[in-house]
Amino acid sequence: MLNIKDRDLVVPGDLIGNEILPDMNCYMEGGNVYSAVEGLVRVDGRKIKVVPSSGGYIPKREDVVIGVVMDVLTGKWLVDINSPYICAMSGEEVSRDAAKTDLSRYYKVGDIITAKIGTVNEVFSCQLMKPWKIESGLIIDVNPKRVPRVVGKQKSMLNMIREKTGSRIIVGQNGKIWIKDGNVDLAIKTIKKIEKYAQTQGLTDQISEYLDKESREKISL
Amino acid sequence: MEIEGYLKKDYITNLVNESKREDGRKFDEHRKIIIDNGYVKDKAPGSCLVQLGKTKVLAGISIDVGEPFPDRPKDGVMSTSTEFRPIASPRFESGPPNEDSIEVARVIDRGIREAGAIDLKKLLIEDNLVWIVFIDIHILDHDGNLIDAGGIAAMSALLNTRLPKYEDGKIIYGEYSGKLPIARVPIPCTTAKIGKALLVDPSMNEEYAMDARLTVSTTDNINAMQKGGTGSFNEEEIMACVDAAFEKGKEIRKMLSTG
Amino acid sequence: MSGNGDLVLIKDGKRLDGRGFEELRDIKMEVSVLERASGSAYVEWGKNKVMVGVYGPRELHPKFLQDPTKARLRCVYNLAPFSVDERKKPGPDRRSVEISKVTSEALSSVVMLERFPNTVIDVFIEILQADAGTRCVGLTAASLALADAGIPMKDLVSACSAGKVDGHVVVDLMKEEDNFGECDLPMAIIPKKGEVVLLQMDGKLSRDEFKEAYKLAYDGCMKVYDLQRKTLMDSMKKFVGEGGVENGD
Repeated sequence: MLNIKDRDLVVPGDLIGNEILPDMNCYMEGGNVYSAVEGLVRVDGRKIKVVPSSGGYIPKREDVVIGVVMDVLTGKWLVDINSPYICAMSGEEVSRDAAKTDLSRYYKVGDIITAKIGTVNEVFSCQLMKPWKIESGLIIDVNPKRVPRVVGKQKSMLNMIREKTGSRIIVGQNGKIWIKDGNVDLAIKTIKKIEKYAQTQGLTDQISEYLDKESREKISL
Repeated sequence: MEIEGYLKKDYITNLVNESKREDGRKFDEHRKIIIDNGYVKDKAPGSCLVQLGKTKVLAGISIDVGEPFPDRPKDGVMSTSTEFRPIASPRFESGPPNEDSIEVARVIDRGIREAGAIDLKKLLIEDNLVWIVFIDIHILDHDGNLIDAGGIAAMSALLNTRLPKYEDGKIIYGEYSGKLPIARVPIPCTTAKIGKALLVDPSMNEEYAMDARLTVSTTDNINAMQKGGTGSFNEEEIMACVDAAFEKGKEIRKMLSTG
Repeated sequence: MSGNGDLVLIKDGKRLDGRGFEELRDIKMEVSVLERASGSAYVEWGKNKVMVGVYGPRELHPKFLQDPTKARLRCVYNLAPFSVDERKKPGPDRRSVEISKVTSEALSSVVMLERFPNTVIDVFIEILQADAGTRCVGLTAASLALADAGIPMKDLVSACSAGKVDGHVVVDLMKEEDNFGECDLPMAIIPKKGEVVLLQMDGKLSRDEFKEAYKLAYDGCMKVYDLQRKTLMDSMKKFVGEGGVENGD
């Protein structure tokens, strides 16, 4: 039984309903499900979720992230991924004989990399895989909870931005987005706009119009 | 996460080489300045919240009475202190002031003291009793150039400070007996050196990229200077910073009012 | 806390500032006011002006302080030197340390710390201007700042004080009432459950007077809660495109 409807706004402690499964932004008490965050309720048939308005990044398997190498140890690196939890990356990503290799030849402290999260344990320590070093370009901060909107369903939003700005863009689920080449200014402005109005209905169309308008103005200058 | 430090340094430097700044400013331009006098006027005799871009600094003036310094028995006393509150940045820690916080306080203090901004001679109450002026600079949000933001906030607060009533040996809080006498209005101006370029009012990202900075506090004269950072300046660069400080000082002084 | 013979705190059923016994001072709330902090709030309550910034969950140093079962919640309540009549020297004093502790404990009752093992959540309460009831204002603002930061909580925390002035039980003491009244009772509740997570008292109350004061404080907390909810809802307007997507930015 639901106490709310689709697209209702909630704050921590608001009753969502009972006899439903709590998602990670809710909690259950006495048979009832309550919101744990401020956000937007989405009801999709029997699935209920709360889309948080903001929040930090907690590592998740398969996420692409952008991080900074913090330490080079024997057989592995430690990487800061803008989360309270540090990630490790095994030396085996670059060398078979990781323990005997000087790993700083590949990635040294301060290097910026994008990589995929492999395993995550119960205290959120994680392992990174498939690293790629980032040199030059720019990294901007985006509220991690709003990053999914920058990507869009099946990357629809992200591809649209890439196409209309001509920029290379890598989106880190941990709230870091790398941009290089093309109309970097417009890419940044567009991403910031999506971040601000993330759960607006029809946002994709509005962003499409915005990109067209701004591109036209640039050409006519 | 210090990603900002590493990559932004290169990004900012590349922009500077193309004669550009991250927020589109000219090299000799300040960020937008918002001055809010009397921000906490119900308690503090003087106060001012300054927003310099996204940097937010609150200066509060407290007044007390006490003994003058023995070598200046007829002068009032001023004291400046700065707190880098941990609310203002993930890099600020709770605890006693560190060298950065102390440097900001002392540079702002020098600018105000050496200019004779507060007319200390007019703060004598009676024999062996003078007004004591405390300038407390409370950093709330750090996006670079805390010296200028703090210095402007302190000076604007001082311009709007009222002296409390002093009667029968005690201060009557909440009642006032006139304004704090201000003789002149020093304004600090900080220029950052990135490569060979000089940029006025560095943002936090620009501070990451800078090799050195020079703060010059001016009235009609230069009253205080402070070079910071591990890089160096040549004479021409220094004179350019001085000239910028006089010009910016004039502009910003106009924005401060005694309203 | 003795009565002051000269100062009349209640006259013709009205208090010094014209309020009735059950009336709260004017309150304004705002969130997302700071750039650097993960979440932030600013509350003006009577003459109180309080800014709160939240950081975290973030890594906790030194490592031996880490708790593998949950996050630590660190709260620092700080009075700015110019926030009170007589300048306060910078740095924590014993009163601030105690207030930090009870505030932290109140918030710990709702923040879902077990979701973030080995980390710390920092709450910085800056009192910029103080005029009685600052711990209630700070706690109310801290609750908003935590929600603004997206830190999962079971409920908000809403705080309000009550007290006794010239023999009458009243809600939300102002400075003179706090200084010269007979009792000060700060309180905070978790509104959904209706339970008390902060309760302190100093002064003198009979059992019946306490029950009366409790009710006034409780009702005051619920009024504060309504305002907190409204503030958070308003802050999400742009998030859902209420009022349209602006063309400028």
